[in-house]
Amino acid sequence: MVGAMQRTLGVCAAIAVHACGGSSPPAPLPPLRPVAANELRAPADFASIADRTQRSRSLFLEASRVLMHPRCVNCHPAGDVPHQGMQMMLHDPPVVRGPEDAGVVGMECLTCHQDRNQPLTRVPGAPGWHLAPIEMAWVGKTAAYICNQIKDPARNGGKTLAQIVEHNAHDELVGWGWKPGADREPAPGTQAQFGAIVAAWVETGAACPEENKQ
Amino acid sequence: MTAPVRVTRRAFLVGLNLSLGGLALGVYPRLATADEPSGRAGPAPQPASEAHEDATKGLDPNVLVHIGDDGHTTIVCHRSEMGQGVRSSIPILIADELGATLERVVVLQADGDKKYGDQNTDGSSSIRRFYDDLRRAGAAARMMLISAAAKRWNVKPESCVARDHQVIHPPTQRALGFGELVPAASKLPVPAAKAITLRPESELVNVKKASLPLLDGPAIVTGTALFGADVKLPGQLIAVIARPPTVGGKVARYDAARALKIPGVRRVVEMPVPKAPWMFQPWGGLAIVADTTWAALKGRAALEVSWDPGSNEVADSATMRDEMLSSVRTAGTPLRSLGDADAALASAAKVIEAEYLVPHLAHITMEPPAAIAQVASGRAEVWAPTQNPQAARTEVARVLGIGEDKVTVHVTLLGGGFGRKSKADFVSEAAFLAREMGAPVRVQWTREDDLRHDYYNAVNAQRLRAGLDGRGAVIAWHHRTAFPPIKSTFVAGTTTPAIDDLQQGVLDLALSTPNVRAEACAATPRVRIGWYRSVYNIFHAFAVGSFIDELAVARGMDPRDAWLDMIGPARILGLQDLGIAKLSNYGEPLDRHPVDAGRLRRVVERVTEASRWSTRKQQGRTLGLAAHRSFVTYTAVVLSVVPDKQRVFRIDEAWISMDPGTVVNQDRVRSQMEGGVIMGISNALFGGVTLKQGAVQQSNFRDARIARIRDVPRKIHLDLVASGGPPCGVGEPPVPPVGAALANAVFALTGKRVRELPIAAAFRI
Amino acid sequence: MKIRVNGVDQTLDDNVDPDMPLLWAIRDLLGLTGTKYGCGEALCGSCTVHLDGHAVRSCVTPVRRASGRSVVTIEGLSKDGNHPVQKAWLALRVPQCGFCQSGQIMSAAALLAARPRPTDDEIDTSMAGNLCRCGTYPRIRAAIRKAAGLPEDAT
Repeated sequence: MVGAMQRTLGVCAAIAVHACGGSSPPAPLPPLRPVAANELRAPADFASIADRTQRSRSLFLEASRVLMHPRCVNCHPAGDVPHQGMQMMLHDPPVVRGPEDAGVVGMECLTCHQDRNQPLTRVPGAPGWHLAPIEMAWVGKTAAYICNQIKDPARNGGKTLAQIVEHNAHDELVGWGWKPGADREPAPGTQAQFGAIVAAWVETGAACPEENKQ
Repeated sequence: MTAPVRVTRRAFLVGLNLSLGGLALGVYPRLATADEPSGRAGPAPQPASEAHEDATKGLDPNVLVHIGDDGHTTIVCHRSEMGQGVRSSIPILIADELGATLERVVVLQADGDKKYGDQNTDGSSSIRRFYDDLRRAGAAARMMLISAAAKRWNVKPESCVARDHQVIHPPTQRALGFGELVPAASKLPVPAAKAITLRPESELVNVKKASLPLLDGPAIVTGTALFGADVKLPGQLIAVIARPPTVGGKVARYDAARALKIPGVRRVVEMPVPKAPWMFQPWGGLAIVADTTWAALKGRAALEVSWDPGSNEVADSATMRDEMLSSVRTAGTPLRSLGDADAALASAAKVIEAEYLVPHLAHITMEPPAAIAQVASGRAEVWAPTQNPQAARTEVARVLGIGEDKVTVHVTLLGGGFGRKSKADFVSEAAFLAREMGAPVRVQWTREDDLRHDYYNAVNAQRLRAGLDGRGAVIAWHHRTAFPPIKSTFVAGTTTPAIDDLQQGVLDLALSTPNVRAEACAATPRVRIGWYRSVYNIFHAFAVGSFIDELAVARGMDPRDAWLDMIGPARILGLQDLGIAKLSNYGEPLDRHPVDAGRLRRVVERVTEASRWSTRKQQGRTLGLAAHRSFVTYTAVVLSVVPDKQRVFRIDEAWISMDPGTVVNQDRVRSQMEGGVIMGISNALFGGVTLKQGAVQQSNFRDARIARIRDVPRKIHLDLVASGGPPCGVGEPPVPPVGAALANAVFALTGKRVRELPIAAAFRI
Repeated sequence: MKIRVNGVDQTLDDNVDPDMPLLWAIRDLLGLTGTKYGCGEALCGSCTVHLDGHAVRSCVTPVRRASGRSVVTIEGLSKDGNHPVQKAWLALRVPQCGFCQSGQIMSAAALLAARPRPTDDEIDTSMAGNLCRCGTYPRIRAAIRKAAGLPEDAT
């Protein structure tokens, strides 16, 4: 299951927004500025999309390149065990979610993870290291699903869209995705660029990609 | 609770002065009872050379036993403790033979010294080879005490017995304590070896008990036990070494400036460059010597260095795999020949063939190598978790260019050995650096160092062929095995296994097949090859045990029936029956430890009975079976696997039957059986390091996995077969059959035959 | 920097690197060697100690995290080795080489403090981070059950 999902993500990243995420109307969208896998587009790159909703959907698909990057999705598991690495292997040493998404006694997240990456030890760290709650599971989900989940206060920790923007732009645990330490590949772009994309998505109406186009 | 045999850590550390005292003089260092030297919890250990030499007069019949005139008895353990329980087993065996009360016995760990004979704690030999000698050590003291008592009472020595720390004359109910007898006994001649008589085994009351408390248990569970890295010396420094990634590589260029800027880093020292053969030489590289371990680690990370990889850069595991497969596809050196295997194969109705591959295996002791040394006034003193203190002494003397008599090697507890710590490379690193720094230096290996600079168990390829006649009977057995032999570490250019290498599961394999040939095939060593718990038996048992299972499938037989059929009837197989010119037989004479098909059959029968083999494919589980003779012990293992949602399968139950002859300290033998099964699971499921451009690719437990608690069956059923007779090996024999038992169980569950370890790779789990 | 270690207030020198793992501070600076180095990357559990009652891997825990807090190492788990886990460990003769055992015991003690009667699955889950190369796992499980007052055999 992990393998199949991982392949889907790989394809997404490789062929970028249009072919993979797509957008709803049959009319072809103007081509976006090509970017490398480790870059993010700026909101201005989406100005060529005239339709506001279309633009919003495309912005979310751009954001999903971060959201669905292993660096981020690894700690949004669909089950009890987080993933690790670009191959999204199950976390080893074996850990489980626990009642508060922070592990169980003896194997708490904070048994090993610190408030920052530690020199020489390789263990990644950021303040408040923990798993996303199960209702925020992203592993194996589509961008459309994730989009709707993020907007749903019942499944996003009771956040408003403004709080979502703030969270993505400034939260330190989110920010770890761009400074993962050791030899880990960071999420595309920067947290600031990601925050700008999410903000632009919200400003354009926070439209979600359509599920059947995924 | 208290252990019946007390050990004082002070004695542990300073006690090696046994050699200074000398036997004949009866001089012995006083056994201090001061606080144990555990960091700040107690005083720092006192170097033996400066130790107090307060001595008590006493009875010293040999180097292993000392009885003071207060009756206080000291028994030396001259073998290294690495978890097998030898520090309980040896002293209690001697004490039982002597008739000592365990509460009055102190155990002293021997330094490395040839006067103790063989101290290389290796080859599952401590009890197997020294059972009678150890008893004689106790018996000699007993006889001298009895002689003294008999003389005093004017009775015949035969009418006296020694027990409970007394000599007793039962007819007159007289008794004298050991201590009271020491002055007279110590003036008597030590009985000649041939004159020493042993007690009936039934009188070995303690060592035959089902369980004994662990000698070092209380220290271990309170954190005061001393392992290699736990010895502290005043003014000590800590060294971490940046080593070239390839064996035979060396420093090309380096810049120490950044490393030296790390607070606490004292110096960057160039290590001597080794020359082939590698033997126990330090690996080379650059040592960062610092005040703390952390400073040394940071210093090493800051060091700028580039390496000259040397000639082993060409080695990739993928290339070696291809080379070894080519090697076993062509004729090698024939070392076993019975009947005419070629003709039988040519005439066979059906030929079954399979190739098996096992990677280099790393020891991965939980305690990475570490040792501390001080060198002053032309003398060196080291503390090390070494399995072979005499080899360490020799290597330290060589590196320092001083006589062995100027080197003292103290043995700490070993945090795992498995063969890794027989090699002295890490000990002489410490000695070299202590001299360079003019201060005591502890060398600390990291886990990465351990994985990348080990003496690996040989990588291996095998090809097995069997010919079946029209009725499905096996009429031919053809076995080829290729691996770089251990000898390559000691004699450069060795590539082909010799007859003594193939004793491990190829030549001593009891087969009913009339036509047999086995050949040794060449493989080029690209790393340091060394012995690892059960050594070549690991891959030979894996291939043979898998192939018998494959043959069972081809013959439409139950695997258990196939095993018993292949082994044949209960019988002793001589050299001629085996079709071999010689069998080194783990150093044991064949008349004492023959190749006994009956004992192999028996463990197969017992383990399959215990595991209810007839239900081997019921209730959602499947069983796999394998058996093997190693270290003259016979072992059979059954593993049960069940489907697992996350990881394809899970091992849920294990059974092991083992016949090691006479058993000393049953509980520790059982713990070796448990641990051996688990190490066998690690080997088969996860084992192996790989080379890329001559360097080991794995770095830590993330990519060099070993079994975690969840990988281990909830139930391991132990069947210790009490066959009596001479004691056989215990530490290693549980390991070899496990790999094939697992592969066979996994085949039964999934239909997938894994011929290349590790199994986890085949299932991507 | 002040740290309470096994009930005793310790002051570390001002020039101690705050990033120094707690393990090396305990071993090299405070001289308590019961806590072991096995991997340095939180993969083996040999270095497990309690930080304000929680099991942590001291090899990756910067000493600054322990500042002003309470650390318990194997040496301080009990007086005279009489913690139920230590007693069960001896009664069932768990250790082989013993090197990993202080970490195992500290994890087991943390488990039992939170879950006085753990299930077999809970034992495996909470002990998953502690490696043992000798293969003492079956006895570790049994000793935890014994310390919890449960039958020693797996259910």
